[in-house]
Amino acid sequence: MSAVWTIALLTVREAVRRRLVAAFALISVVLVTLSGWGFYRLSHNVGFTSGESHVAMPEAVILFMFMFSFVVALSASAIASPAISSEIDSGVLQTVAARPVRRGEVLFGKWLGLAGLLAAYTAIVSGLQVAVVYWASGYVAPDPAAAAAFVFAEGVALLTLVLLLSTRLSALAAGVIGVALFGVAWLGGVVGLLGETFNVHALRTAGHVSQYLLPTDGLWHAAVYYLEPSWFITQQLAETPGVRGNPFMSLSAPSWPYLTWAAIWLVLVLVLGLTSFERREL
Amino acid sequence: MSPARSAEAGPEGRGLTASPGHAADGAVPGRVTDDPGARAQAPGSPAIHAIELRKRYRRTVALDGLSMSVERGEVFGFLGPNGAGKTTAVKLLLGLVRPSGGEAMVLGAPAGDLQTRRRIGYLPELFRYQSWLTAREVLVLHCRLRRLPRPRWAGAVDDALRIVGLSGRGDDRVGTFSKGMQQRLGLGVALLGEPELVVLDEPTSALDPVGRHDVRTIIRALRDRGTTVFLNTHLLAEAEHVCDRVAIISRGRSVATGSLAELKAARPSVRLRVGGLADGWWERLAGFGRWTPDGDWLLVEDMAAGRVPDLVGSIVSLGGQVEAVIPEQQTLEERFLELLEEK
Ligand SMILES: Nc1ncnc2c1ncn2[C@@H]1O[C@H](COP(=O)(O)OP(=O)(O)OP(=O)(O)O)[C@@H](O)[C@H]1O
Ligand SMILES: [Mg+2]
Repeated sequence: MSAVWTIALLTVREAVRRRLVAAFALISVVLVTLSGWGFYRLSHNVGFTSGESHVAMPEAVILFMFMFSFVVALSASAIASPAISSEIDSGVLQTVAARPVRRGEVLFGKWLGLAGLLAAYTAIVSGLQVAVVYWASGYVAPDPAAAAAFVFAEGVALLTLVLLLSTRLSALAAGVIGVALFGVAWLGGVVGLLGETFNVHALRTAGHVSQYLLPTDGLWHAAVYYLEPSWFITQQLAETPGVRGNPFMSLSAPSWPYLTWAAIWLVLVLVLGLTSFERREL
Repeated sequence: MSPARSAEAGPEGRGLTASPGHAADGAVPGRVTDDPGARAQAPGSPAIHAIELRKRYRRTVALDGLSMSVERGEVFGFLGPNGAGKTTAVKLLLGLVRPSGGEAMVLGAPAGDLQTRRRIGYLPELFRYQSWLTAREVLVLHCRLRRLPRPRWAGAVDDALRIVGLSGRGDDRVGTFSKGMQQRLGLGVALLGEPELVVLDEPTSALDPVGRHDVRTIIRALRDRGTTVFLNTHLLAEAEHVCDRVAIISRGRSVATGSLAELKAARPSVRLRVGGLADGWWERLAGFGRWTPDGDWLLVEDMAAGRVPDLVGSIVSLGGQVEAVIPEQQTLEERFLELLEEK
């Protein structure tokens, strides 16, 4: 276990030394400042009726989190894609792998370090966001912590997948494939919702399958649910007929079977990554 | 190496302060073995024992039945042309790649055994260290990975830096190091914690002449304290200077093994000056080697080992008068080229 810890700390130190952490910090400040300004303008818009301003807040928060979940997922892909392959190419990994450490420990340590960075990043931005929105408008989403946790889970899912790809593919290929799969999974989710709205069986099935193959979009929908006050769901259902097909809406809480599957999926992909790296010739 | 140079082992890493100063005067303490496994294994087992090792990469056969045995405490040179399979063999021994066939034992355990790796120092052929760490941090990282007891880290790190002549640069980032300095650091990492076996894959490829000399000094110091050294190289001079025994490998198999003197004497040549040979001598003597007249002399090359006295005896028995027999010194390079051609 101590080797895992050594590698995890090394990964974090690399992120600090190579200014990844500084970049994250800068992005956080920019995102939160912009959103603070936006929320301030929105909630102080004199043209709004009180009902409109009421609805605008949850919608704006969901949109912000959607954007941020994208940033988290793409960052996850970007930091995971070079983690193994680039170190093999440069010869750094050979110096570590010749030591009395299991390859699995090296990979798991990297995963732990990168996931830790992602967790800190998600927590800090989400926390600041909640504070800024509250300051600007007095609005607080029902359960921002749960929403942030699911956004993080979405990022970790992609992180783990790209890390697996990175044990076999070049950094470039792993990153590009990871991002593309993420996009496809998102589209799969939308397709499934459309299938549900218009009752097209094939589309609904496709959406389901994609949510099980890569649970990023499913986890995003879980996150959305915790950003929606219950009156908001009722109102949307009553006022907007096509709302079921809206990727920024969740009408029900994530199901336990699905969350269990997402956890199993994560473990499976991680184990696959460990095995693949064990067998990789250096 | 002069003390003055040792003391000045400075920024440019001029001069490794290696041994004799280092090893001979006891600066290297008697081996403190912190590995229980070290005592457990059979003391008589060779440091490296490979049997019919094979490795094939898709279409390329990198190793084609390599067998060899390296005794404990010897400096073993692994010589061969580019692409002969030297690096592949080393990676197999360390468990970085898996063999397609055959087996190898290192320090009494199967190649790649996790616990045994604690007792091995390795300088890879192509490597980099984390460019964003300082030299000192790289060494500490390897102390940690090697599970050296923490109280020994500081001493081990300082020793390593001093031995490879990087004392003044320990706190600089590795990314700012020149190629030769990176190789020096690599050597320092390989020496950390007094390993029983040090595997060096072309340790001097990036070094200046001073550095090369220093590496030889370091290798001799390692031998003096009983460390086994496995040295991959295609520099014959390097092998001639430090190796007790060498194996010459070509296309993935060993074509000759032995001490350098043995290798060179394996196919001796002599220059003869002979008079008064009876008719028909040719039939009796042609088999000794390849004969070439050279003025008043006869050159007999490529003889079987130890046949020179027989040759002289036969000449005398045929009535010849042997005026002079001069053994021809074959250089290692000539012998090396010859061996590669034979295959
Ligand atoms: N990862 C690999 N994939 C495919 N072929 C490889 C790989 N590594 C080595 N080879 C092939 O195996 C053979 C032996 O290579 P190796 O690196 O062991 O040679 P070497 O003796 O170390 O040569 P050099 O003196 O140039 O370092 C070469 O033909 C090489 O092309
Ligand atoms: Mg090589």
